[in-house]
Amino acid sequence: MIGTLETGHGLWSALYWLLGLAVLSLIVYFIYSFGGKTVKASGDKGKPFLSGNEMVKEETHVKASNIYWGFTETLKSYYSPLKGGHTGNVNDYVSWFIVVLAIVLILAGGL
Amino acid sequence: MILILKSIIGTCVIAFLGIFFGLIYKGIDRKLHAHMQMRVGPPITQPFKDVRKLLLKENLVPENAVNWVFNLMPILSLASVISILLYIPLGFDPILSTKGDLILILYLMMLPAICLILGGFASSSPYATVGGQREMVMMISYEFPLAVTIIAMVWRLSKIYTVSNVFTLQFISSNPLWDKVGVFGLIGLVILLGVLLVVTPIELSKIPFDVPEAETEIAGGLLVEYSGKNLAMFYMTDAVKTVVMASIVVALFFPYGISQYFDFSQYINYVIDFAFFLIKTFAVILVSVTIARTSFARLKIDQIAYMLWVPVTITSIIGLLLLYLDTVL
Repeated sequence: MIGTLETGHGLWSALYWLLGLAVLSLIVYFIYSFGGKTVKASGDKGKPFLSGNEMVKEETHVKASNIYWGFTETLKSYYSPLKGGHTGNVNDYVSWFIVVLAIVLILAGGL
Repeated sequence: MILILKSIIGTCVIAFLGIFFGLIYKGIDRKLHAHMQMRVGPPITQPFKDVRKLLLKENLVPENAVNWVFNLMPILSLASVISILLYIPLGFDPILSTKGDLILILYLMMLPAICLILGGFASSSPYATVGGQREMVMMISYEFPLAVTIIAMVWRLSKIYTVSNVFTLQFISSNPLWDKVGVFGLIGLVILLGVLLVVTPIELSKIPFDVPEAETEIAGGLLVEYSGKNLAMFYMTDAVKTVVMASIVVALFFPYGISQYFDFSQYINYVIDFAFFLIKTFAVILVSVTIARTSFARLKIDQIAYMLWVPVTITSIIGLLLLYLDTVL
Protein backbone atom coordinates (compact mmCIF):
# COMPACT_ATOMS: atom_id res chain seq x y z
CA MET A 1 0.00 0.00 0.00
CA ILE A 2 1.39 3.38 -0.94
CA GLY A 3 0.92 5.78 1.95
CA THR A 4 1.60 9.48 2.38
CA LEU A 5 5.26 10.42 2.55
CA GLU A 6 5.71 12.93 5.38
CA THR A 7 9.02 14.74 5.69
CA GLY A 8 8.21 16.80 8.77
CA HIS A 9 7.81 19.94 6.68
CA GLY A 10 5.91 18.67 3.67
CA LEU A 11 4.05 15.67 2.38
CA TRP A 12 3.22 13.73 -0.76
CA SER A 13 0.84 10.92 -1.55
CA ALA A 14 1.74 9.25 -4.84
CA LEU A 15 -1.50 7.28 -4.87
CA TYR A 16 -3.74 10.37 -4.91
CA TRP A 17 -1.68 11.97 -7.66
CA LEU A 18 -1.90 8.80 -9.76
CA LEU A 19 -5.67 8.64 -9.22
CA GLY A 20 -6.01 12.31 -10.18
CA LEU A 21 -3.84 11.75 -13.26
CA ALA A 22 -5.92 8.73 -14.27
CA VAL A 23 -9.18 10.71 -14.05
CA LEU A 24 -7.62 13.65 -15.91
CA SER A 25 -6.21 11.33 -18.60
CA LEU A 26 -9.74 10.03 -19.20
CA ILE A 27 -11.11 13.59 -19.45
CA VAL A 28 -8.32 14.61 -21.83
CA TYR A 29 -8.79 11.46 -23.89
CA PHE A 30 -12.49 12.27 -24.09
CA ILE A 31 -11.65 15.68 -25.62
CA TYR A 32 -8.97 14.02 -27.78
CA SER A 33 -11.51 11.54 -29.17
CA PHE A 34 -13.43 14.43 -30.75
CA GLY A 35 -10.41 15.09 -32.98
CA GLY A 36 -9.98 14.07 -36.61
CA LYS A 37 -8.66 10.65 -37.59
CA THR A 38 -4.99 9.76 -37.20
CA VAL A 39 -3.17 9.12 -40.47
CA LYS A 40 0.28 7.59 -40.80
CA ALA A 41 1.68 9.71 -43.60
CA SER A 42 3.90 8.14 -46.23
CA GLY A 43 5.94 9.33 -49.19
CA ASP A 44 6.78 13.04 -49.34
CA LYS A 45 3.96 13.83 -46.91
CA GLY A 46 5.51 11.57 -44.30
CA LYS A 47 8.94 13.16 -44.40
CA PRO A 48 9.86 15.68 -41.69
CA PHE A 49 9.60 19.36 -42.67
CA LEU A 50 13.05 20.69 -43.49
CA SER A 51 12.36 24.05 -45.15
CA GLY A 52 12.53 22.50 -48.62
CA ASN A 53 15.98 20.96 -48.12
CA GLU A 54 16.67 17.40 -49.20
CA MET A 55 16.24 14.98 -46.29
CA VAL A 56 19.32 12.77 -46.05
CA LYS A 57 19.06 10.92 -42.76
CA GLU A 58 22.81 10.72 -42.09
CA GLU A 59 23.37 14.40 -42.85
CA THR A 60 20.40 15.75 -40.94
CA HIS A 61 21.00 13.66 -37.84
CA VAL A 62 21.52 15.85 -34.77
CA LYS A 63 24.36 14.35 -32.78
CA ALA A 64 23.93 13.56 -29.08
CA SER A 65 27.05 15.65 -28.41
CA ASN A 66 24.95 18.72 -29.30
CA ILE A 67 22.41 18.03 -26.58
CA TYR A 68 23.65 20.52 -24.01
CA TRP A 69 25.30 22.94 -26.44
CA GLY A 70 23.78 26.13 -24.98
CA PHE A 71 24.67 24.99 -21.50
CA THR A 72 28.29 23.99 -22.20
CA GLU A 73 28.82 27.10 -24.36
CA THR A 74 27.69 29.33 -21.48
CA LEU A 75 29.79 27.56 -18.87
CA LYS A 76 32.81 26.89 -21.09
CA SER A 77 35.11 28.82 -18.75
CA TYR A 78 34.18 26.16 -16.19
CA TYR A 79 34.22 23.17 -18.54
CA SER A 80 37.46 23.98 -20.42
CA PRO A 81 39.79 23.42 -17.42
CA LEU A 82 37.85 20.25 -16.60
CA LYS A 83 38.32 18.98 -20.15
CA GLY A 84 42.05 19.69 -19.79
CA GLY A 85 42.07 17.34 -16.80
CA HIS A 86 40.77 14.49 -18.96
CA THR A 87 44.15 13.41 -20.30
CA GLY A 88 43.24 9.77 -20.90
CA ASN A 89 46.15 8.75 -18.65
CA VAL A 90 45.02 6.45 -15.83
CA ASN A 91 47.84 7.72 -13.56
CA ASP A 92 46.30 11.21 -13.72
CA TYR A 93 42.84 9.88 -12.88
CA VAL A 94 44.16 7.94 -9.87
CA SER A 95 46.02 11.09 -8.73
CA TRP A 96 42.78 13.10 -8.94
CA PHE A 97 41.00 10.37 -7.02
CA ILE A 98 43.59 10.43 -4.22
CA VAL A 99 43.57 14.25 -4.01
CA VAL A 100 39.75 14.44 -3.88
CA LEU A 101 39.59 11.58 -1.36
CA ALA A 102 42.16 13.36 0.83
CA ILE A 103 40.10 16.59 0.74
CA VAL A 104 36.89 14.70 1.57
CA LEU A 105 38.57 12.87 4.47
CA ILE A 106 39.96 16.14 5.84
CA LEU A 107 36.56 17.81 5.56
CA ALA A 108 34.72 14.80 7.01
CA GLY A 109 37.22 14.41 9.84
CA GLY A 110 37.24 18.09 10.67
CA LEU A 111 40.26 20.33 10.42
CA MET B 1 -17.78 6.62 -1.81
CA ILE B 2 -19.19 10.17 -1.63
CA LEU B 3 -15.66 11.46 -1.04
CA ILE B 4 -14.39 9.71 -4.19
CA LEU B 5 -17.36 10.99 -6.20
CA LYS B 6 -16.75 14.53 -4.92
CA SER B 7 -13.05 14.25 -5.83
CA ILE B 8 -13.87 13.06 -9.36
CA ILE B 9 -16.42 15.84 -9.91
CA GLY B 10 -13.97 18.35 -8.42
CA THR B 11 -11.24 17.11 -10.78
CA CYS B 12 -13.60 17.52 -13.77
CA VAL B 13 -14.47 21.08 -12.66
CA ILE B 14 -10.77 21.97 -12.20
CA ALA B 15 -9.99 20.55 -15.67
CA PHE B 16 -12.76 22.65 -17.18
CA LEU B 17 -11.71 25.82 -15.32
CA GLY B 18 -8.03 25.31 -16.17
CA ILE B 19 -8.64 24.84 -19.89
CA PHE B 20 -11.38 27.50 -20.15
CA PHE B 21 -9.52 30.29 -18.36
CA GLY B 22 -6.21 29.24 -19.91
CA LEU B 23 -7.70 29.77 -23.36
CA ILE B 24 -9.42 33.02 -22.29
CA TYR B 25 -6.11 34.37 -20.94
CA LYS B 26 -4.42 33.30 -24.17
CA GLY B 27 -7.05 35.26 -26.12
CA ILE B 28 -6.65 38.37 -23.94
CA ASP B 29 -2.86 38.09 -24.18
CA ARG B 30 -3.02 37.96 -27.99
CA LYS B 31 -5.46 40.87 -28.11
CA LEU B 32 -3.36 43.07 -25.81
CA HIS B 33 -0.14 42.06 -27.58
CA ALA B 34 -1.71 43.14 -30.88
CA HIS B 35 -2.94 46.47 -29.44
CA MET B 36 0.53 47.19 -28.05
CA GLN B 37 1.82 46.77 -31.61
CA MET B 38 -0.94 49.04 -33.00
CA ARG B 39 -2.78 46.09 -34.54
CA VAL B 40 -6.43 45.08 -34.09
CA GLY B 41 -5.59 41.48 -33.28
CA PRO B 42 -7.83 38.40 -33.18
CA PRO B 43 -10.98 38.23 -31.03
CA ILE B 44 -10.55 37.03 -27.45
CA THR B 45 -12.36 33.79 -28.33
CA GLN B 46 -9.80 33.00 -31.06
CA PRO B 47 -7.98 30.28 -29.02
CA PHE B 48 -11.28 28.35 -28.72
CA LYS B 49 -11.70 28.58 -32.50
CA ASP B 50 -8.07 27.45 -32.94
CA VAL B 51 -8.67 24.37 -30.78
CA ARG B 52 -11.92 23.59 -32.60
CA LYS B 53 -10.21 23.88 -35.96
CA LEU B 54 -7.28 21.71 -34.88
CA LEU B 55 -9.70 19.05 -33.64
CA LEU B 56 -11.37 19.01 -37.05
CA LYS B 57 -8.07 18.55 -38.88
CA GLU B 58 -6.40 15.27 -39.75
CA ASN B 59 -3.80 14.09 -37.24
CA LEU B 60 -0.72 13.39 -39.38
CA VAL B 61 2.02 11.13 -38.03
CA PRO B 62 5.39 11.30 -39.84
CA GLU B 63 6.65 8.12 -41.50
CA ASN B 64 9.62 7.57 -39.18
CA ALA B 65 7.92 8.74 -35.98
CA VAL B 66 7.60 6.46 -32.95
CA ASN B 67 3.81 6.23 -33.08
CA TRP B 68 2.84 5.51 -29.50
CA VAL B 69 5.17 8.09 -27.97
CA PHE B 70 4.22 10.68 -30.60
CA ASN B 71 0.49 10.24 -29.88
CA LEU B 72 0.64 9.60 -26.13
CA MET B 73 2.74 12.61 -25.10
CA PRO B 74 0.17 15.32 -25.98
CA ILE B 75 -2.49 13.57 -23.85
CA LEU B 76 -0.12 12.96 -20.94
CA SER B 77 1.18 16.51 -21.18
CA LEU B 78 -2.28 18.08 -20.82
CA ALA B 79 -3.36 15.64 -18.07
CA SER B 80 -0.17 16.23 -16.07
CA VAL B 81 -0.35 20.02 -16.27
CA ILE B 82 -3.99 20.02 -15.10
CA SER B 83 -3.00 17.68 -12.23
CA ILE B 84 -0.85 20.53 -10.82
CA LEU B 85 -4.00 22.62 -10.43
CA LEU B 86 -5.31 20.01 -7.96
CA TYR B 87 -2.67 21.25 -5.48
CA ILE B 88 -2.98 25.01 -6.04
CA PRO B 89 -5.45 27.28 -4.22
CA LEU B 90 -7.61 28.96 -6.87
CA GLY B 91 -9.34 31.37 -4.52
CA PHE B 92 -10.61 28.27 -2.64
CA ASP B 93 -8.83 25.33 -1.03
CA PRO B 94 -7.29 22.89 -3.53
CA ILE B 95 -8.78 19.40 -3.89
CA LEU B 96 -5.53 17.65 -2.91
CA SER B 97 -4.40 20.30 -0.41
CA THR B 98 -3.32 17.73 2.16
CA LYS B 99 -1.85 15.27 -0.36
CA GLY B 100 1.07 17.17 -1.81
CA ASP B 101 3.38 20.12 -1.20
CA LEU B 102 5.32 22.75 -3.09
CA ILE B 103 8.28 20.43 -3.77
CA LEU B 104 5.88 18.06 -5.54
CA ILE B 105 4.53 20.98 -7.61
CA LEU B 106 8.09 21.96 -8.49
CA TYR B 107 8.69 18.48 -9.93
CA LEU B 108 5.25 18.15 -11.54
CA MET B 109 5.93 21.36 -13.45
CA MET B 110 8.70 19.53 -15.29
CA LEU B 111 6.34 16.85 -16.62
CA PRO B 112 4.68 18.84 -19.46
CA ALA B 113 8.12 19.95 -20.68
CA ILE B 114 9.40 16.36 -20.57
CA CYS B 115 6.33 15.19 -22.53
CA LEU B 116 6.99 17.90 -25.10
CA ILE B 117 10.66 16.86 -25.40
CA LEU B 118 9.81 13.15 -25.76
CA GLY B 119 7.11 13.93 -28.32
CA GLY B 120 9.56 16.10 -30.26
CA PHE B 121 12.28 13.44 -30.22
CA ALA B 122 9.73 10.81 -31.30
CA SER B 123 8.70 12.86 -34.34
CA SER B 124 11.96 12.12 -36.23
CA SER B 125 12.45 15.75 -37.22
CA PRO B 126 15.87 17.45 -36.90
CA TYR B 127 14.11 20.72 -36.04
CA ALA B 128 12.19 19.03 -33.24
CA THR B 129 15.40 17.42 -31.97
CA VAL B 130 17.12 20.82 -31.81
CA GLY B 131 14.00 22.24 -30.07
CA GLY B 132 14.05 19.35 -27.57
CA GLN B 133 17.71 19.93 -26.79
CA ARG B 134 17.05 23.61 -26.19
CA GLU B 135 14.11 22.83 -23.93
CA MET B 136 16.34 20.54 -21.86
CA VAL B 137 19.00 23.23 -21.53
CA MET B 138 16.35 25.71 -20.39
CA MET B 139 14.96 23.21 -17.90
CA ILE B 140 18.29 22.55 -16.20
CA SER B 141 18.93 26.29 -16.15
CA TYR B 142 15.71 27.63 -14.63
CA GLU B 143 15.21 24.87 -12.06
CA PHE B 144 17.93 26.21 -9.75
CA PRO B 145 16.76 29.84 -9.34
CA LEU B 146 13.15 28.60 -9.18
CA ALA B 147 14.02 26.14 -6.41
CA VAL B 148 16.06 28.77 -4.51
CA THR B 149 13.13 31.21 -4.65
CA ILE B 150 10.58 28.71 -3.41
CA ILE B 151 12.78 27.10 -0.77
CA ALA B 152 13.88 30.51 0.56
CA MET B 153 10.28 31.57 1.14
CA VAL B 154 9.23 28.33 2.79
CA TRP B 155 12.39 28.23 4.91
CA ARG B 156 11.59 31.72 6.21
CA LEU B 157 8.05 30.62 6.92
CA SER B 158 9.32 27.53 8.78
CA LYS B 159 11.25 29.87 11.11
CA ILE B 160 7.98 31.52 12.12
CA TYR B 161 5.68 28.49 12.32
CA THR B 162 6.66 25.07 13.63
CA VAL B 163 4.01 23.02 11.88
CA SER B 164 4.41 19.86 9.83
CA ASN B 165 2.72 21.12 6.66
CA VAL B 166 4.69 24.32 6.09
CA PHE B 167 5.57 23.28 2.52
CA THR B 168 1.95 22.90 1.39
CA LEU B 169 0.72 25.71 -0.84
CA GLN B 170 -2.47 25.93 1.19
CA PHE B 171 -0.47 26.79 4.33
CA ILE B 172 1.82 29.20 2.49
CA SER B 173 -1.10 31.07 0.94
CA SER B 174 -2.94 31.21 4.30
CA ASN B 175 0.13 32.79 5.93
CA PRO B 176 1.56 35.47 3.64
CA LEU B 177 5.08 36.55 4.58
CA TRP B 178 4.85 40.26 3.75
CA ASP B 179 3.64 41.40 7.18
CA LYS B 180 5.81 38.97 9.15
CA VAL B 181 9.27 40.06 8.04
CA GLY B 182 11.45 43.09 8.68
CA VAL B 183 13.07 45.49 6.20
CA PHE B 184 15.67 42.96 4.97
CA GLY B 185 12.95 40.37 4.58
CA LEU B 186 10.78 42.76 2.57
CA ILE B 187 13.63 43.60 0.19
CA GLY B 188 14.41 39.88 -0.08
CA LEU B 189 10.79 39.07 -0.93
CA VAL B 190 10.63 41.78 -3.62
CA ILE B 191 13.84 40.37 -5.16
CA LEU B 192 12.44 36.81 -5.09
CA LEU B 193 9.20 38.02 -6.66
CA GLY B 194 11.26 39.63 -9.44
CA VAL B 195 13.13 36.35 -9.98
CA LEU B 196 9.87 34.40 -10.19
CA LEU B 197 8.42 36.91 -12.67
CA VAL B 198 11.53 36.43 -14.85
CA VAL B 199 11.44 32.63 -14.56
CA THR B 200 7.70 32.53 -15.48
CA PRO B 201 8.06 33.31 -19.23
CA ILE B 202 11.08 30.98 -19.38
CA GLU B 203 9.08 28.13 -17.84
CA LEU B 204 6.32 28.89 -20.36
CA SER B 205 8.75 29.18 -23.32
CA LYS B 206 7.36 32.58 -24.27
CA ILE B 207 9.20 35.31 -26.18
CA PRO B 208 11.99 36.31 -25.48
CA PHE B 209 12.64 32.77 -24.24
CA ASP B 210 10.85 30.76 -26.93
CA VAL B 211 13.98 29.17 -28.42
CA PRO B 212 12.59 25.59 -28.24
CA GLU B 213 9.88 26.59 -30.74
CA ALA B 214 11.34 29.65 -32.51
CA GLU B 215 9.01 29.65 -35.56
CA THR B 216 11.20 31.96 -37.65
CA GLU B 217 14.32 29.92 -36.97
CA ILE B 218 13.47 26.23 -36.55
CA ALA B 219 9.89 26.35 -37.84
CA GLY B 220 8.15 25.55 -34.55
CA GLY B 221 10.92 23.25 -33.24
CA LEU B 222 9.38 20.72 -30.91
CA LEU B 223 5.94 21.11 -32.46
CA VAL B 224 7.00 21.22 -36.11
CA GLU B 225 5.57 17.78 -36.97
CA TYR B 226 2.48 18.03 -34.78
CA SER B 227 -0.92 18.68 -36.30
CA GLY B 228 -4.62 18.12 -35.64
CA LYS B 229 -5.74 16.87 -32.23
CA ASN B 230 -2.17 16.23 -31.00
CA LEU B 231 -1.29 19.88 -31.60
CA ALA B 232 -4.59 20.92 -29.96
CA MET B 233 -3.56 19.06 -26.78
CA PHE B 234 -0.18 20.84 -26.68
CA TYR B 235 -1.93 24.14 -27.41
CA MET B 236 -4.20 23.63 -24.39
CA THR B 237 -1.23 22.45 -22.30
CA ASP B 238 0.44 25.78 -22.97
CA ALA B 239 -2.75 27.63 -21.97
CA VAL B 240 -3.18 25.68 -18.72
CA LYS B 241 0.54 25.95 -17.87
CA THR B 242 0.20 29.73 -18.04
CA VAL B 243 -2.60 29.57 -15.46
CA VAL B 244 -0.52 27.21 -13.30
CA MET B 245 2.56 29.44 -13.24
CA ALA B 246 0.55 32.60 -12.59
CA SER B 247 -1.40 30.80 -9.84
CA ILE B 248 1.82 29.76 -8.11
CA VAL B 249 3.09 33.37 -8.15
CA VAL B 250 -0.27 34.53 -6.75
CA ALA B 251 -0.37 31.81 -4.07
CA LEU B 252 3.18 32.58 -2.94
CA PHE B 253 3.15 36.38 -3.05
CA PHE B 254 -0.43 37.67 -3.36
CA PRO B 255 -2.68 35.16 -1.59
CA TYR B 256 -5.02 37.78 -0.14
CA GLY B 257 -8.78 37.53 -0.65
CA ILE B 258 -11.41 40.27 -0.52
CA SER B 259 -14.47 38.28 0.56
CA GLN B 260 -13.96 39.27 4.23
CA TYR B 261 -14.88 42.85 3.31
CA PHE B 262 -18.35 41.76 2.18
CA ASP B 263 -21.20 40.32 4.14
CA PHE B 264 -22.43 37.62 1.79
CA SER B 265 -23.09 33.91 2.15
CA GLN B 266 -20.22 31.42 2.01
CA TYR B 267 -20.83 30.40 -1.62
CA ILE B 268 -20.96 33.98 -2.89
CA ASN B 269 -17.73 34.63 -0.98
CA TYR B 270 -16.14 31.71 -2.89
CA VAL B 271 -17.21 33.31 -6.17
CA ILE B 272 -15.86 36.73 -5.11
CA ASP B 273 -12.50 35.26 -4.06
CA PHE B 274 -12.29 33.21 -7.25
CA ALA B 275 -13.03 36.31 -9.36
CA PHE B 276 -10.37 38.25 -7.44
CA PHE B 277 -7.96 35.36 -7.95
CA LEU B 278 -8.61 35.54 -11.73
CA ILE B 279 -7.79 39.26 -11.72
CA LYS B 280 -4.54 38.62 -9.83
CA THR B 281 -3.45 35.83 -12.18
CA PHE B 282 -4.26 38.06 -15.12
CA ALA B 283 -2.05 40.81 -13.65
CA VAL B 284 0.85 38.32 -13.35
CA ILE B 285 0.33 37.11 -16.94
CA LEU B 286 0.17 40.70 -18.18
CA VAL B 287 3.55 41.55 -16.63
CA SER B 288 5.37 38.26 -17.15
CA VAL B 289 4.02 37.21 -20.53
CA THR B 290 2.26 39.95 -22.51
CA ILE B 291 4.48 42.95 -21.75
CA ALA B 292 7.66 40.81 -21.78
CA ARG B 293 6.93 39.25 -25.18
CA THR B 294 5.96 42.59 -26.68
CA SER B 295 9.00 44.41 -25.38
CA PHE B 296 11.86 42.04 -26.14
CA ALA B 297 13.24 40.08 -29.06
CA ARG B 298 14.15 36.41 -28.83
CA LEU B 299 17.39 35.57 -27.02
CA LYS B 300 19.80 32.83 -28.10
CA ILE B 301 19.90 29.64 -26.05
CA ASP B 302 23.39 30.32 -24.67
CA GLN B 303 22.30 33.84 -23.67
CA ILE B 304 19.30 32.37 -21.82
CA ALA B 305 21.47 29.77 -20.08
CA TYR B 306 23.96 32.49 -19.07
CA MET B 307 21.18 34.78 -17.85
CA LEU B 308 19.69 32.04 -15.71
CA TRP B 309 22.92 30.62 -14.32
CA VAL B 310 24.62 33.92 -13.53
CA PRO B 311 22.47 37.05 -12.93
CA VAL B 312 19.15 35.33 -12.10
CA THR B 313 20.75 32.70 -9.84
CA ILE B 314 22.90 35.30 -8.06
CA THR B 315 19.84 37.52 -7.58
CA SER B 316 17.83 34.64 -6.10
CA ILE B 317 20.70 33.81 -3.72
CA ILE B 318 20.83 37.49 -2.66
CA GLY B 319 17.09 37.25 -1.93
CA LEU B 320 17.74 34.10 0.11
CA LEU B 321 20.57 35.79 2.05
CA LEU B 322 18.38 38.80 2.81
CA LEU B 323 15.69 36.51 4.19
CA TYR B 324 18.40 34.81 6.28
CA LEU B 325 19.62 38.19 7.56
CA ASP B 326 16.04 38.99 8.48
CA THR B 327 15.98 36.03 10.87
CA VAL B 328 19.35 36.72 12.55
CA LEU B 329 19.17 40.53 12.88
